[in-house]
Amino acid sequence: MSPPVPSDLGYVPPDGGWGWAVVFGASVSVGFAYTFPKAFTIYFKELQAVYSISYSQIAWITSIMCATTYGGGPISSILVNRYGSRPVVIFGGLLCGIGMISAAFCTSILQLYICVGFITGFGLALNLQPSVIIIGKYFLKRRPIANGLAMAGSPVMLCTLAPLNQFLFDNFGWRGSFLILGAILLNCCVAGALFRPIRAVPASVKPQVTEEGKDALKKEVTEEAMEMSSPTNVPMENKTEEEGGKDCCEKINQYLDFSLFKHRGFLIYLIGNVLMFLGFFAPIVFLAPYAKHIGIDEYSAAFLLSILAIVDMIARPTTGIIANSKWVRPRIQYFFSFSIAFNGTCHLLCPLASGYTGLVVYSIFFGLAFGMVCAMLFETLMDLVGAARFTSAVGLVTIAECCTILLGPPIGGTLIDTFGDYKYMFIKCGAVMVLAGTFLFIMNYYNYRMLAKEEKERKAKEEDLKSVRTENEGRNNWNRETAQDGPELEPLREEQEGLKKEVNGTNEL
Amino acid sequence: MPAAFSAKRPGRLPRLLLLCLCLSGGSPADATMTTQDASQSLASSLTKMQAGLTESSPEPMTTIQTANWPTQGSPSDHLTLGHNGSTPALLGPDLTTQEFKQATKENMSNVTFVEYEVLLPGVSGTSMEKNITLDSATIIELSCRLDNKYSHLKSLQVTWKRGNETIRHIDKTENSWSIQLKILDSSKLGNYRCILKGEEEISAIFYLQVPKIEGKEKPIVSYEGDSAIMICKSFGYTPIAWTWYKINGSEQIAINDSLVADKYVINSVSANVTHLKILKLTKEDDGVYWCEAAFELGRSKGNLKLKVLSLMVPLKPFLAIVAEVVILVTIVFLYEMYSKKKEKCAEDEKEFDQVEQLKSEESNGLENSSARNRKI
Repeated sequence: MSPPVPSDLGYVPPDGGWGWAVVFGASVSVGFAYTFPKAFTIYFKELQAVYSISYSQIAWITSIMCATTYGGGPISSILVNRYGSRPVVIFGGLLCGIGMISAAFCTSILQLYICVGFITGFGLALNLQPSVIIIGKYFLKRRPIANGLAMAGSPVMLCTLAPLNQFLFDNFGWRGSFLILGAILLNCCVAGALFRPIRAVPASVKPQVTEEGKDALKKEVTEEAMEMSSPTNVPMENKTEEEGGKDCCEKINQYLDFSLFKHRGFLIYLIGNVLMFLGFFAPIVFLAPYAKHIGIDEYSAAFLLSILAIVDMIARPTTGIIANSKWVRPRIQYFFSFSIAFNGTCHLLCPLASGYTGLVVYSIFFGLAFGMVCAMLFETLMDLVGAARFTSAVGLVTIAECCTILLGPPIGGTLIDTFGDYKYMFIKCGAVMVLAGTFLFIMNYYNYRMLAKEEKERKAKEEDLKSVRTENEGRNNWNRETAQDGPELEPLREEQEGLKKEVNGTNEL
Repeated sequence: MPAAFSAKRPGRLPRLLLLCLCLSGGSPADATMTTQDASQSLASSLTKMQAGLTESSPEPMTTIQTANWPTQGSPSDHLTLGHNGSTPALLGPDLTTQEFKQATKENMSNVTFVEYEVLLPGVSGTSMEKNITLDSATIIELSCRLDNKYSHLKSLQVTWKRGNETIRHIDKTENSWSIQLKILDSSKLGNYRCILKGEEEISAIFYLQVPKIEGKEKPIVSYEGDSAIMICKSFGYTPIAWTWYKINGSEQIAINDSLVADKYVINSVSANVTHLKILKLTKEDDGVYWCEAAFELGRSKGNLKLKVLSLMVPLKPFLAIVAEVVILVTIVFLYEMYSKKKEKCAEDEKEFDQVEQLKSEESNGLENSSARNRKI
């Protein structure tokens, strides 16, 4: 199996230090983005009574919020590509806060749709994507752990937001709660402040000695780059040099990399995930109603969800640690496919669970599987496309997933209504996920083999190039020796080596 | 998003079945309900529910009784409890003709017949209780039965009492005693006790009451200038009318929405639910409210509490959290500037050292090259 894709960012990520503060900020952001729609359902009953509307009309609020959060992905990606993560998250936090504060003064359901649905939803979109992106910029070797910890923010936030919402509602009514929730969402700005932009510092450059030396070095660098660049992949430094020669496609690609649709790994991930999300969220939505349907009382049914959240909380960082181990990291795509299939099997076995104990066991396994999938959701995408193109990839993936995420629970609901039985919904979800897992497994096996083949071809080409280059180098060095001093050659050679590594990195894509 | 699906509402029949559980614990396995058409001109049916232990006879005891008076409508089959058909009532054979005539007069209204039985343990001390909810005029038979295994207890004196008043009872069987009551208004509701005096005293209490109204335990919170909605629900039983009261200290004031039209709006979404919407709230609207449901047999109240807050109340935590956010963001940025400065200082120092080092190397190199040149 091929080793993990080396960094194509142009620098070596720190893998620690300030990175852990970034992980904490990311977990806060991700937590708010995923759990806010769920925790908001506490207000439904009251809002229904106040505005005299039906349940489906009020449920539109969370639907719009989720749709905007996922649909705003590409816009988020474009903004991050242009401005970096930090300003986008701070702006997103402000937007969320403004949305909820204005919702506190709403007088009609339409205004609620706009304030809570669109504005807050878009703010959460501007929170979610940059948080995931910046982890790829700060971590490489420990990236799965960082991803696992950041995604663990979601169940932690759910466990705190749900009781907090209830407390706020009991003491301040719904208007006061919205006001205070707006302030709480402003904490995303704090998370954003932690996202210190990381400078692309080339790893192997020694501090420059003199101005002359620097200029000469730069000339050599660009010359070597142009010699060694392959026709398809352009090294990052070259882009800035050849700005004039870009056409409009490349300009769009700078903001949102549509060339990803030619990327084999990206396409595999996209198809597999879009299929998976069709059955991902529906079981959570219907777990409590199913429990009540088979005769369990309301509090025990709610407790099932708490069990799920707690197991989820533990599963995510643990999965991150496992995925980071040297046995799993190279084969992380298989691990991901396995966890999806495991999730699907849980759902298929759920109808066999009888009574409360059976459902508790199901909740535990479901929580475990859910955590495993979520922890590796973005890690696998980063692994496939590399951290540099991940910004655009995540935007494109979320907008594609948006449709199936929104369709999943209503389809499940229709199945329940048509057959009057929950087991068909579980069977549908389980079947879809097992199918997605199998698809990903097979396609990733194919992908790994193709990558290994390409690696072999590239190495062979490099051998040829090396032999040609050593000849040239010999000639060049003999020319330069008369002009420059001995010690100054050192940085030059190091620079050549560094460039070679970088170009190899981009070639791997 | 969760699709709306209707949960199955338990029907009245299974609910009443469960009500009639004998309190020593038993499943309603032996409860049966059968109806039968008696004859062409008369229609009658008796719904009888009897809960029993597994020891007791599993045979369903169904009796059909007919009454000898012309019925109002066409013969109908079912007489299920609480059902509003114009069906005639049945009277037990031991009622006097006077009551018989009275019953015919009340023939027009919906009078139902219900029977409840409690199985008594032989041991004293534990008092058996049963809550019975009635919403319309009913003829009810309450019976206490002694378990067969205690039939050895002789010389038992059985009394039925309501408060201090003794009621004449009938010996249904060897081991059971019952009373029949005609509940037509609230005066007949209350607690009825059957007392068995032997060596020890064994008793059971039947609580006859009107249906309870569900209000809200937690206070409803709203703001000045905003509106508030209070909802009262009655489960299972449909009241005749709803009235809302506001409690001012010790007096209750009826809320009439026609008088102050733009302040109170009362509407009923369905017969079992009532909404009171209070507009343009002020501090005076704060307090306790009662929603009263009028049933045939009396009134029942639900309690609701309204809290009216000023906008300052949530504003304080809001401002506190905003201040916390601003402080944290400032701290993060300040720390970043500080660590950048430190880095820059360290870098400058390093560069300075390196420059010195290279300069010395240069001078060495120059010396060497000049040495080389000289050598050449």
